[in-house]
Amino acid sequence: MKITKITSTDQLTNIRDLERERNLNNKHKTEVFVCGGGGCIASGSLELKSSMENMIKEENLDISVKLTGCLGPCSKGPVIKVNPDSIIYENVRNEDLQHIVKDHLKKGNIVESLTWKNESDGHSISRAEDITFFKDQTPLVLRNCGSIDPANIYDYIGHEGYQGLAMALSNMKPLCVVEEVIESGLRGRGGAGFTTGKKWEFTALEKSDQKYVLCNADEGDPGAFMDRSVLEGDPHSLIEGMAVAAYAIGATQGYVYVRAEYPLAVTRLNHALKQAREAGVLGEHILGTKFSFDLEIRMGSGAFVCGEETALINSIEGKRGEPRPRPPFPAQKGLWGKPTLLNNVETYANIAPIIQRGASWYRTYGTEESKGTKVFALAGSINNSGLVEVPIGTPLGEVIYDIGDGIKDGKNFKAAQIGGPSGGCIPRQYLNVPLDYSSLKELGAIIGSGGLIVMDEDTCMVDMARFFLEFVQEESCGKCVPCRVGSKRMLEILDRICKGDGEESDIDKLLELGQQIQDTALCGLGQTAPNPVISTIRHFREEYIEHIRDKHCRAGVCPDLVRAPCQSGCPAGVDIPGFISLTGEKRYAEALKLHRERNPFAAVCARVCFHTCEDKCRRATIDQAVSVRGVKRFMVDQEITVQLPEVRENEAYARRKIAIIGGGPAGLSCAYFLARLGYKPTIYEAEDRAAGLLVQAIPAYRLPRETLFREIRMIEGLGVDIRTGKKLGRDFSIDDLKAEGYETIYLATGATGSVDLGLPGEEGPGVIQSLPFLQQYNIKGSVPVKEKVVVVGGGNAAVDAARTALRLGAHEVTLIYRRSRDEMPAYDEEIEAALHEGVILKDLIQPSEIERGADNEITGLRCSPVVLGEFDKSGRRRPLVKAGKEFVIETNQIIIAAGQRLDQRMIDEHKFETGMNNFIFADPVTCRTNIDRVFAGGDVASGPSSVVAAIAAGERAAVSMHQFFTGNEYIFWRDEKFIDTHFDPDSDPVPYDREKIHMIEVERRKNNFDEVEQPWHEAVAVRQSKRCLRCDYGKSCQNQEVAK
Amino acid sequence: MIQSLNHIIEGFEGVEGALIPVLQSAQNLFGYLPEVVLKHISLTMRIPYSEVTGVVSFYSFFSTIPRGKNIVRVCLGTACYVRGGKDILKGLRDQLEINVGGTTDDREFSLEVGRCFGACGLAPVLMINDDVHQRVKPAKIRDILNSYRTVLEEVR
Repeated sequence: MKITKITSTDQLTNIRDLERERNLNNKHKTEVFVCGGGGCIASGSLELKSSMENMIKEENLDISVKLTGCLGPCSKGPVIKVNPDSIIYENVRNEDLQHIVKDHLKKGNIVESLTWKNESDGHSISRAEDITFFKDQTPLVLRNCGSIDPANIYDYIGHEGYQGLAMALSNMKPLCVVEEVIESGLRGRGGAGFTTGKKWEFTALEKSDQKYVLCNADEGDPGAFMDRSVLEGDPHSLIEGMAVAAYAIGATQGYVYVRAEYPLAVTRLNHALKQAREAGVLGEHILGTKFSFDLEIRMGSGAFVCGEETALINSIEGKRGEPRPRPPFPAQKGLWGKPTLLNNVETYANIAPIIQRGASWYRTYGTEESKGTKVFALAGSINNSGLVEVPIGTPLGEVIYDIGDGIKDGKNFKAAQIGGPSGGCIPRQYLNVPLDYSSLKELGAIIGSGGLIVMDEDTCMVDMARFFLEFVQEESCGKCVPCRVGSKRMLEILDRICKGDGEESDIDKLLELGQQIQDTALCGLGQTAPNPVISTIRHFREEYIEHIRDKHCRAGVCPDLVRAPCQSGCPAGVDIPGFISLTGEKRYAEALKLHRERNPFAAVCARVCFHTCEDKCRRATIDQAVSVRGVKRFMVDQEITVQLPEVRENEAYARRKIAIIGGGPAGLSCAYFLARLGYKPTIYEAEDRAAGLLVQAIPAYRLPRETLFREIRMIEGLGVDIRTGKKLGRDFSIDDLKAEGYETIYLATGATGSVDLGLPGEEGPGVIQSLPFLQQYNIKGSVPVKEKVVVVGGGNAAVDAARTALRLGAHEVTLIYRRSRDEMPAYDEEIEAALHEGVILKDLIQPSEIERGADNEITGLRCSPVVLGEFDKSGRRRPLVKAGKEFVIETNQIIIAAGQRLDQRMIDEHKFETGMNNFIFADPVTCRTNIDRVFAGGDVASGPSSVVAAIAAGERAAVSMHQFFTGNEYIFWRDEKFIDTHFDPDSDPVPYDREKIHMIEVERRKNNFDEVEQPWHEAVAVRQSKRCLRCDYGKSCQNQEVAK
Repeated sequence: MIQSLNHIIEGFEGVEGALIPVLQSAQNLFGYLPEVVLKHISLTMRIPYSEVTGVVSFYSFFSTIPRGKNIVRVCLGTACYVRGGKDILKGLRDQLEINVGGTTDDREFSLEVGRCFGACGLAPVLMINDDVHQRVKPAKIRDILNSYRTVLEEVR
């Protein structure tokens, strides 16, 4: 490209006008932009560009193809934009190109199949201006990235390029430039957030024969890549910003310190420097003025600490990149002892528009105390990863859920890590936090360089902290003791916590060491090194405690604590790979026995468990999770004689008197495990038969009664005495039991109180709570159902009630929920089945009043539509009623399923202490309550939870009572069992897809309660079990004490 | 080769802080920085040998032992770590039968760990020489490595 030297600002403006005119003339012309950001190049965009050009040539089209800087959405790469309508094509492969060329470029038909798709809702959108990812951004720093060719200086000039420099040189005194930058409120975008203008002022006021301007492009924070994008996509904006800075402080020489990991950035910047010199905007007599300034590139050599300003200066000087003590600050004594100004790439990229358009314009963006925009590098478990630029103060939740399109694979948001190794994490209860300097600081995080890593439930926070510390430890330059030795000691502690060897005092030790390092390290990197640890302890202390006390990693990450992620994801700790592989070898009896080592209710759970195991399955990273529940269902159906695991009879234990109050899953499970140790406990059940909510609330079409009672009979067969019709508070009290000689008592009465909606008209006929509704049908055999039923709620109880009402003859059943369907706590397959059967689901609706007619009969439910507002403490969007849009749903019966609570009378009568959740407090390790020898577990202590959680709670209580009696900590069923099934670790995973669980047709479900799900054939079950990757293979994990 | 080195050093005459750029060019030239090269640089540039080795040992990009023809770098930056970078590293270790910092016996590959290549949107990533491989799965490692092997064999 031929470049002529520009010798005056007028000439620059002329060139700009020419370019502008050309752009204007081409406004309606078709033009193709291929993203040439580092991400898209890795995805193959360079090959795409050349094949596209060839195809265009073959078709004889007059269309230009431009390679641009990063367009932003890296995970969708390679990305192609077609102007004039800015149509975005994502994940373009070579074979897709011919469609784009032949259909779109030639005929003008958009190729819908290749356009942008929202991962969260599957919507296809073609125009950039309609896509939330682009629409919600405010690009100032990234203003040109993706719309100009970084290799063409004229393209930059045509987009107002070098106008800021021209204005500074021709109209402003150096100190006026400094004033303008101070006035703009711009703060350093590299980490500490120091006011940029002030830094300029300090350097400008120093007297010296030589001053330097440096750019920190050693973007070392893992997870941040906006500087790379500017260097690669818009290098001239950096050159211009630095030239303005040099003019303002009186420097003639500058250096850009680029890290060695960015070879493409170096190439593009070098090219841009060459063009800038040829065009006369860099070098001697810039734009024909007296001002001269030149730039050189220095490459880093792989040292994170060189991102610290004084270390960077040492590195440019050719020395070891160790920090120097400050003061003197670089503004006084920097590079080669001369006054030096140092900012990072993003900061400089802000300068040109500030000078050209004025500080007051810049101040319109951002918050009161922090102005402008910030680029965030969105990565991790998020649908749209890539670069996003938003005004400072934008709430975190908006960035993640609107621009970022939510969490990958529909998982739940756990935390966002902001600011890299110097930053901290923000948990879900703070999704609403505005991304500005002070709000993040309050939560223990920083904006830092803008790396924003989104984490879902599969990330272990202790492991995360360990990762950052290991990073800092390895990258510590070693000059000062606090950082070199202190971070080493902290890492050792975290290592042992992750290995399961942590000690109770470790958390305090970490905090203490962290504080000392913060106070005493030499440089900013050392001082902030403990932040990730301190921040995770602050927000996720619970997880640290689990690692230390329970030897449990809830995310299934820490290898020494996790035998297989599915097993660690199961509250009861069932050996899932074990029974799956035994089923695969048709050894069903052994498989069942193994299952019952940790969970007696194999057949029940095969039907009603919500299988958290499958959420953790590693097979999902290849295709889909193993259908654990499907395999289990087949396995339990093969049971002919009841398969009992080991029982150790013991005469001494059998004489102990233990009472269990409540015959639900928690109580039955506790009795089962006690019986296996040799105890003979007695269960007091209020209703006529044991099983609790399993029989009272879960409908028979999900859980056939014979299946359920068979497993309860099995528990009775172990010597457990179940006394029915005995209700606590009605028939006996805890003191009565003690008087009868019971030594320990397990309280597992569940949470049977219902929560009202508090609506006008709620009292009166026609309104019933879901639990009594289901109980009445399941126990008494009938419950009145009207013609038009509305169920209010989004949990499993709501769905069960709706499906039951439909089966009992209701003509129309409407389920209303105040949040969105995605947020319903009910299991997805239950909702699906309900819809399939004809239940009408209306989400985003808030009821306000129950309307009654003359005879007090219900006539309708007055409701308002709801919009989702900001994020609340639960990390979900708060429903806000849309005023004035009320409507009435016609109905004669309303079933309320708004939640369960404790029976308040029981708490008062026995003076139970309650925990934070307003349920009975039970020690997490010993399960003991504040009342002597009374233990508690299940819903009564945890609040409404799952069947399997109750089973696990029962096991814990049994173990705790055993320890109470004997002091013995050894529990034989918690030993890992060796499974002798065949497995070849070198074989490739079997190619079968996940098989669905079949259901009977909808017509056959009406008016009856036959089981809906159908078992597989043997061949299917065996094949499905082979899909397991056997994560447990070659591992034995003796440490796993309690699987919580 | 020493002549080319001299040429490089001459190119930096009068440039302040030239040691690191010289070392970078020298490593590109020799593949690594053996003692003779460092001594030569020290003498020619009149920088104490202790200072030269001090700088070399400080920066992770400099290597004083021979490295493979292909430098394999696994990113263990935050995003890659969260999305399974550890599994990639394990896969590479198993395939190449070397540890981090090691070189295969046939000098085809050296294995190193990187800290973020700025391709976080495509995590986990792997960088071989200057090529970034994105969204790597452990099952794909063998093919990726082989593609480098074949190229080299054809060249021979």
